[in-house]
Amino acid sequence: MIGLWARYYRAQIKLSLAVQFQYRVAMAIWMLDIVLSPMIYLVVWTTVAQSSGGTVNGFTPSDFAAYYTVLMIVQHITQIWHMWEYEYLIREGGMAQRLLRPLHPINEDISQNISYKILMLMVLIPAVLLFVLLFRPAFHTPLWSALAFIPAVLLGAALAFVIGWTLAMAAFWTTRIVAINSLYFTAMLFFAGYLAPLDLLPRFMQMIAGVLPFRWMMSFPVELALGRVAPEAVLGGFAAQALWIVFGVLVLRRVWKAAVRRFSSVGG
Amino acid sequence: MSASKSAVVIQNLRKTYQVHEREAGLGAALRSLVSRKSRDVKAVDSISFSVDMGEMVGFLGPNGAGKTTTLKMLSGLLYPTSGEARVLGYVPSRRERAFLSQMTLVMGQRNQLVWDIPAIDSFELNREVYRVPVAQYKQTLDELVELLDLGKLLTKPVRNLSLGERMKCEIAGALLHRPRVLFLDEPTIGLDVTMQRRIRLFVAEYNRRYGATVLLTSHYMADVEALCKRVVVIHHGSILFDGDLTALVERFSPHKTIHVKLADENQDFGAYGEVISREEGQVVLRVPKADTARVTGQLLANMEIHDLTVEDTPIDEVIEQVFAQPKEGRA
Amino acid sequence: MRYFKLIRLYFRIGVLNELEYRANFFVQIFQTVLGLLTALGGLAVIFEHTGDLGGWRSDELLALVGVYFLVGGLIGFVIQPSMQRLMMDVRTGTLDFMLTKPEDAQFIASIRQVEMWKLVDIALGVGLLVVALARLGRVMDVAQVLGFGVALLAGAAIVYSFWLMLATLVFWFVRVDNILVIFQTMYEAGRWPVTIYPGWMQVMLTFLVPVAFAVTVPSQAVVGRLTLQTLLGALGVAALMLFVSRRFWRIGIRHYSGASA
Repeated sequence: MIGLWARYYRAQIKLSLAVQFQYRVAMAIWMLDIVLSPMIYLVVWTTVAQSSGGTVNGFTPSDFAAYYTVLMIVQHITQIWHMWEYEYLIREGGMAQRLLRPLHPINEDISQNISYKILMLMVLIPAVLLFVLLFRPAFHTPLWSALAFIPAVLLGAALAFVIGWTLAMAAFWTTRIVAINSLYFTAMLFFAGYLAPLDLLPRFMQMIAGVLPFRWMMSFPVELALGRVAPEAVLGGFAAQALWIVFGVLVLRRVWKAAVRRFSSVGG
Repeated sequence: MSASKSAVVIQNLRKTYQVHEREAGLGAALRSLVSRKSRDVKAVDSISFSVDMGEMVGFLGPNGAGKTTTLKMLSGLLYPTSGEARVLGYVPSRRERAFLSQMTLVMGQRNQLVWDIPAIDSFELNREVYRVPVAQYKQTLDELVELLDLGKLLTKPVRNLSLGERMKCEIAGALLHRPRVLFLDEPTIGLDVTMQRRIRLFVAEYNRRYGATVLLTSHYMADVEALCKRVVVIHHGSILFDGDLTALVERFSPHKTIHVKLADENQDFGAYGEVISREEGQVVLRVPKADTARVTGQLLANMEIHDLTVEDTPIDEVIEQVFAQPKEGRA
Repeated sequence: MRYFKLIRLYFRIGVLNELEYRANFFVQIFQTVLGLLTALGGLAVIFEHTGDLGGWRSDELLALVGVYFLVGGLIGFVIQPSMQRLMMDVRTGTLDFMLTKPEDAQFIASIRQVEMWKLVDIALGVGLLVVALARLGRVMDVAQVLGFGVALLAGAAIVYSFWLMLATLVFWFVRVDNILVIFQTMYEAGRWPVTIYPGWMQVMLTFLVPVAFAVTVPSQAVVGRLTLQTLLGALGVAALMLFVSRRFWRIGIRHYSGASA
């Protein structure tokens, strides 16, 4: 049984890689998208640090450089985009094709997600080197913390995927999914540690970030990579990630059922 | 599950859509934000029929008659509003793996093959999706390649194929798991005559080899004539006719056409029948079936005729007449 | 005069068309509010930790955000939609209809498509400018207002020429929509004064993707930091870009007519 699944995933990822490889020029351009946003915020915070005596709340310019370098990597690994695709998929009949197959469509999306991220390493690695050369990040990370980064970023990616896929289901009900997407990305900007490391946010925003899932998608792995998570808080962090994933999967299953019911009552 | 010899059973199947309505004007638009008026549209209105195992049935009707809606209900894409559908004993809308693995839906205007890469790569994926054993996959693929003459097409990116070539690949991809039930929705649409024939012959051969059940819609009566002994005609969501194709002609076209070749076509044929066309040296008449012998005799007796042939009304015309029936005028 | 009439006609069609999709209005309002929240929230977080950013105080940056919305709205209102339409028309072959019209093709191509709801962004930009000026307690004299107007026009002309050149590429390479992503992404950088970026990035943001002329220079005019040299420089670049992009457009059209004949 597991063998059959593994073989399906191997075939699907192989296929997705072949398809996505056709768009390598577009990928090079998407790289700009990956690099530019973290770079802007890095520059802004470096400027702030320089004009306030070299540090902001203990962050030096090279700390910021380290923070946004890792953030760029984490952002790539946790990236999701299915919410942009489903409207098209439903409108153009792709959804019907997927439903005819004896397989949950989420499998195809997971495969595409993985293959895209593998392929994009080709541009991510040079981007990271560029960051290192230009901004000279400094790391003071203990080994255990750096190792903990790996499961944390994978859990973060899983959480982001679950949330993104659930949001994508909105396309079954509305064609104005763009508003939902904007809301999602704005929340990410503030509460995932994008605009600023969460430590630098005002208290009330930190509290909001604490009850939302976004922190566990991006900020937590980044904090681990920088060695900014206290040893006793690590397990709690993983637990929060796991809880959010479980909760997300439960919601996802309900929403998917409702989406299929909706699709099969109004037609594609 | 099902011990019967029916592959498809439909009973009182009904599908209604809700359509939102809005009047013109800004006021109406604002009101519609709060409360929307809606109206039920019956796409399929209580139809019943069944298809035997291995049977090929033509499913006919004009655009919007409810054909595609029915096929979508049978393949599990749409829930029926009421009534019951069973395919191979399964309830389609439950979308069980065993059901989905034994049927296929081919839509002439939709494609499942990935556009940018060769078809063979999509096939490989389908093998894993449908969990087809390697040996069986190879055998089926070889047969399909031979029957559809796919040869070199499989290794070209799909986007570089012609419409006909692409359709052949689509069909092959849809049959790799050797489905026992085929729902074909306009499989030959937009193809040239040769390619239509090719696909027709293939469907017949597939049905013969694997005993597959086929439910086929097509705008091309040649497809239906070649493949289906039996037709189901649906119009305005209801079944208008279910039976042999020949019986359909009998019922809806109680006429024959008489082609007459003669020296002077400008005579009065009003006494013999309805003139359909009149060209130089040739006249075509439509005559009630019962009168055919009498009219033929009179024509030969009263006029100087070079040649005379009697034909059944072409199937296309019959169908046209059937579709022209008003909604109430059910047979 | 005739050009104004044409502009009015095309805008009218655009407005009527958009009125068919009223829900877009609410979506746009929502998007704009989120954009505003992002901008103000960002400023608030940063000025928790510092009194000025690269020499700009928070209310001065508010003015810059105003210009950012104003210019972004202008681009999204007519420049970007028209250019995207142009590229689509080349791909689908419907450009021929436009070329057969007895008007300047570049002019028509540039005003043909309007996204009316982007006016919301323009209005918000103006509003932010007013608020920022009030908070700064700044009263602009006639010369300064004029300077701002000229800087804004020059910026708009530069951005327009830039877009036109990108779009003209479509005559040679059919798939250039991805290049547009470059502008959209780079424009994000204009949220902050370009002077804070490292030197090589400033060069990029000035000459490669003219964000500096579009946002920073007009903002400098608002807060009274604009030097005459910068203004003249902007004007010079604008004139040059308009000239070059028109030449480029002509070459593109000729290539297109030659290739499709």
